[in-house]
Amino acid sequence: MKGDKIPNQHHITRYCQPKYILDGQIQPGAFKLRAGEESLSVNWLEFLNCSSRESEIAEIQNIYSTKLNVGGRAKIAVLNVGEVRQKVLTESPDGRNLEVIHDSSTDDPSHSGIYNLKQDDELIAELILETVHEAYSART
Amino acid sequence: MSDLNLYEETAREAAIAYGNKSLIDYSSIGESDDEVWNRRNLLPQKPRKVPKGIYFLTAGSQEDIKTLISPWPEKEDPFTQSDLLDSEEDMAQEIIYRIKTTLSVPYRERLANRLLTLVNDAKEEDPSSPGITVGSLRSFYNFFQSHPNLKYPAISLMPEDNIYASWRSEQNRLFSVHFLPNGDTRFVIFKPNERHPDKQMRISGIATTDILMETVTPYGVWDWISE
Repeated sequence: MKGDKIPNQHHITRYCQPKYILDGQIQPGAFKLRAGEESLSVNWLEFLNCSSRESEIAEIQNIYSTKLNVGGRAKIAVLNVGEVRQKVLTESPDGRNLEVIHDSSTDDPSHSGIYNLKQDDELIAELILETVHEAYSART
Repeated sequence: MSDLNLYEETAREAAIAYGNKSLIDYSSIGESDDEVWNRRNLLPQKPRKVPKGIYFLTAGSQEDIKTLISPWPEKEDPFTQSDLLDSEEDMAQEIIYRIKTTLSVPYRERLANRLLTLVNDAKEEDPSSPGITVGSLRSFYNFFQSHPNLKYPAISLMPEDNIYASWRSEQNRLFSVHFLPNGDTRFVIFKPNERHPDKQMRISGIATTDILMETVTPYGVWDWISE
């Protein structure tokens, strides 16, 4: 339900534009807020109720294709909620407690957000990047 | 002290480092249109007139380095947002051309090609984007012109289309620099804690481009980012 905290054992995806990709590898800019943004947009994988990671990613690719102009080299980063939160809590200089909250919309029911980020959080973007263990092409 | 945040201290230094000097460079005056670089024909070339005026560079003043000049196309019609974007694109194109042709690093062509890829990446998703922020490109150029012995970095963009350069090495060493349009940089350092090998030092801060390297020198960054 909208406003729910996503459980630590669940997973989220982040759309990574080509400008955040180098030699197929995701770079920290993918995890930094844009000016005026309150949270980092992500999608809640378990909410999709798919039977496998493959079908989850196919569904996410489908969502992105309807909402975004998906670049040819764009990627999908998969993150574990608990790992990201723990990493940032224990390794950021200010012990930042990130919250990952369901923030659904009619055209994107699994849409969620990572909250408690700031505009100048390059260090935290680097920490989040270190928790990316899976990445997929954003195009079908 | 395992973690250290330098924001306050370096912000104070940054205020001092700005100064109020204006740099003047006449080197582009009289440059013919034929000499204007065409980004390998990736973007349409527009006829330009070089104005007779002098152009000033006010941010990130540094002595003894080559400075940039970016003439604005002469406009006879009212200035529009579209004109502004076109002009920023022209300026970005010119700075990348200078990186390719005048920067004193052995990998300058590779650097310019990477920046062109990023311009096209940014425009692929948002055609109205100028690609890379001109002020960020200018700081990036000045930084490498001042430090020609740096290793080739990993280069990507930030959401505002500023340049983000990273040097990673073994043993979890990282030095990343976000080149802001106003001549500031925000940097991140990860490195092992030499007294406690199981722990890592994580440092972030802000400094003007011209004093960045002296600001981070105490952390041994030179050891893994320079040739």
